[in-house]
Amino acid sequence: MLAVPPLPEPDLLAAIPRLRRYARVLTGDPTRADDLVQETLARAWEKRRLWAVGSDLRAWMFTIMHNVFVNQLGLAARDARNVSIDGDGDGARAWQLPVRATQQIRVELLEVLRELERLPAEQREVLVLAAVEEMRYEEIATVLDIPVGTVMSRLSRAREKLRRAMSEGRDAAQAPLKVVR
Amino acid sequence: MGNPFTDLDVHAYADRQLAPERVAELEDAMARDPALAAKVAEIERQNAWLRAGLGTALDEPLPRRLIDAARGAPRRSYRLFAPLFAAAATLVIGLGLGWYARDATLQRAGMPTSFAREAAFAHALYASDAKRPVEVWAPEEKQLVAWLSRRLDIPLHAPDLNAAGYALVGGRLVAGNERPTAMFMYENSARQRLTLQARKQAGTDETAFRYAVEDGVGVYYWVDDRCAYALAGNLDRPQLLAIGRLVYQQLATADAPR
Repeated sequence: MLAVPPLPEPDLLAAIPRLRRYARVLTGDPTRADDLVQETLARAWEKRRLWAVGSDLRAWMFTIMHNVFVNQLGLAARDARNVSIDGDGDGARAWQLPVRATQQIRVELLEVLRELERLPAEQREVLVLAAVEEMRYEEIATVLDIPVGTVMSRLSRAREKLRRAMSEGRDAAQAPLKVVR
Repeated sequence: MGNPFTDLDVHAYADRQLAPERVAELEDAMARDPALAAKVAEIERQNAWLRAGLGTALDEPLPRRLIDAARGAPRRSYRLFAPLFAAAATLVIGLGLGWYARDATLQRAGMPTSFAREAAFAHALYASDAKRPVEVWAPEEKQLVAWLSRRLDIPLHAPDLNAAGYALVGGRLVAGNERPTAMFMYENSARQRLTLQARKQAGTDETAFRYAVEDGVGVYYWVDDRCAYALAGNLDRPQLLAIGRLVYQQLATADAPR
């Protein structure tokens, strides 16, 4: 009987920061995010015979995490979670802002993060995987187990919503600034 | 008229995954169609803001339990849905405190490193802004320079970079952590943007050109007389240095008594 080869540890460790970040996007809470990552890592070791040596470990880990998350919450609970996050209106609290950002930029970043949290979960996932994780659309389709066409329509809707929200915010913020001149 | 590009192509281009053979075609179409170019720029702008907002999460130290889990340590029993509200609240407070402490340390460290980072950061955000990259546009250059000089309380000059193929787009005031920063933005015919940022710098000796790359943005920065300057752009180092020298020369002659 052949022994199942171990997963490449350095690659797993290297994948953790990105897994944690995406888990935080999914859960909106740093502690629950780390629970999700821990569970994902445990699953990865259990299922390591399913990983094709040499294939993209990160995409495989993201796929596992998506499945763990969906299974554990169930779609109904997931929707309920959205309502609660939308309700308190400050999902941005899960994130730290860059040290080098100036006050003005921090204010705008908080606004972007808030709008991101207000997106429906399915759109937020696709947007973050494409824009922040820079995954290829086909990869995103695999991770989320949806057709590429669905990836594109969710991405397009997410960006349109964000654009509208941000341009409204900017117009409101710009108005008093004109006085400066 | 119209163009043969779909919404899908626009997203793929902005996400750097459009097939290479179509990239040039789409760039040509963007040059002819400002609405198309604006659409692309808006997506790139969103991407920059999202990466900036979620980027710091990657720098956080890893918890022990995740390192162990990555090494395949046997799973301890724990419940994923344990109500960890108290722990979560503590963590949030801890993060908040840590954040302020870190910030304070960095501010004390002051120039020039933090200035280069802030400059790169402001460049990444505003240079990708399609609608309002600047507050005052180039046609009002005189008012722009006068306004920024007044706000920074030093005489500023917007260097002429036409010799390097870059025209002035305009400028804005960026509220710096310690003091306000003036930003002049330039653009070449390929719509690549450069920013020159300046801030008053008290009690620091002049420095040589220094170079840093922050988040993929190259920055040359230096201190001259009473001012700290940063030239930022997504250019390779020799190109940026050449433009940096041009800026330096012009500022030196502008400051010289006439």
